[in-house]
Amino acid sequence: MEFSLESISIEERKELERNVFMGTLEQLKAWARSNSLWPLTFGLACCAIEMMGTGASHYDLDRFGVMFRTSPRQSDVMIVAGTVTKKMGPLLRRLYDQMPEPKWVIAMGSCATAGGPYIKSYAVIKGVDQIVPVDVYIPGCPPNPAALIYGINKLQEKIRYEAKTGKRVTGR
Amino acid sequence: MNGLIKGLGVTLKSMIEPKVTTSYPDVPFVMPDRFRGIQHFIPDLCIVCNQCARICPTDCITLTGKPNPDPEKKGKVIDTFDINFEICILCDLCTEVCPTEAIVMTNHFELSTFSRDDLFKDAEWLTDNNTLVREDNNNIGAPVKGGGK
Repeated sequence: MEFSLESISIEERKELERNVFMGTLEQLKAWARSNSLWPLTFGLACCAIEMMGTGASHYDLDRFGVMFRTSPRQSDVMIVAGTVTKKMGPLLRRLYDQMPEPKWVIAMGSCATAGGPYIKSYAVIKGVDQIVPVDVYIPGCPPNPAALIYGINKLQEKIRYEAKTGKRVTGR
Repeated sequence: MNGLIKGLGVTLKSMIEPKVTTSYPDVPFVMPDRFRGIQHFIPDLCIVCNQCARICPTDCITLTGKPNPDPEKKGKVIDTFDINFEICILCDLCTEVCPTEAIVMTNHFELSTFSRDDLFKDAEWLTDNNTLVREDNNNIGAPVKGGGK
């Protein structure tokens, strides 16, 4: 069936654009995914306390559809909160591999980003991006709950942007 | 029955109480003045004494100086000043040790990035980061300039 666009006047077209949501299936999927990020709680150090605080009633991560799961099989995003030692590294990778696609990683705090105060230690992985691909880095030692919320919003923005444009958000 | 009424009383009381949840992404989150956010750097005040770089526990500050372009004046002026914010642990020691308060803390915490490269902050970025600067940089009552004379 042909649908002639000539028959639509400019006023009708403007009204249509105002009232009808147009988008690709990818965008719809990204919208759904970004609003139901279920993180795997990967609390390893003091950042975990801030992460728990963010999940509690004062900051309330449930507002963004972020519900903590305790199983990697049910989660979409891994919040690596704390120091990853070389002993913990293989286990972190295994838990990442057990998560179903699509999956994202947030490196929360200086330790997970680059080693933080343990930068000179022989037992700590200098940045969790050496073993898993990281989407958002949140600096701070530890980042306060509002900074974690900002990081989660940044990840939502990334998911939507990459689905909308098909480009990577870093551009490097 | 008494317990039920007591329990429902608690429920009814908390129903009319104000909400405890912040509406953070919609309303800006105001931090107290002593909050430790990313640093603000004032190049004109810096005397290139290297104390911040030496006291930094993670060695995330690197700086270089050059001789003062004005031949009448002694001392050095700052040439480059970089903070590797990936490993900065916001311990506040650099701002405490700075004799001229050329490096001060701000209340900014919204610093998440998609790339680790963006966390490397140079002097230009730190100079432009001039909002929400901490007001009281001597909150431990240390002697002011000139020592405890």
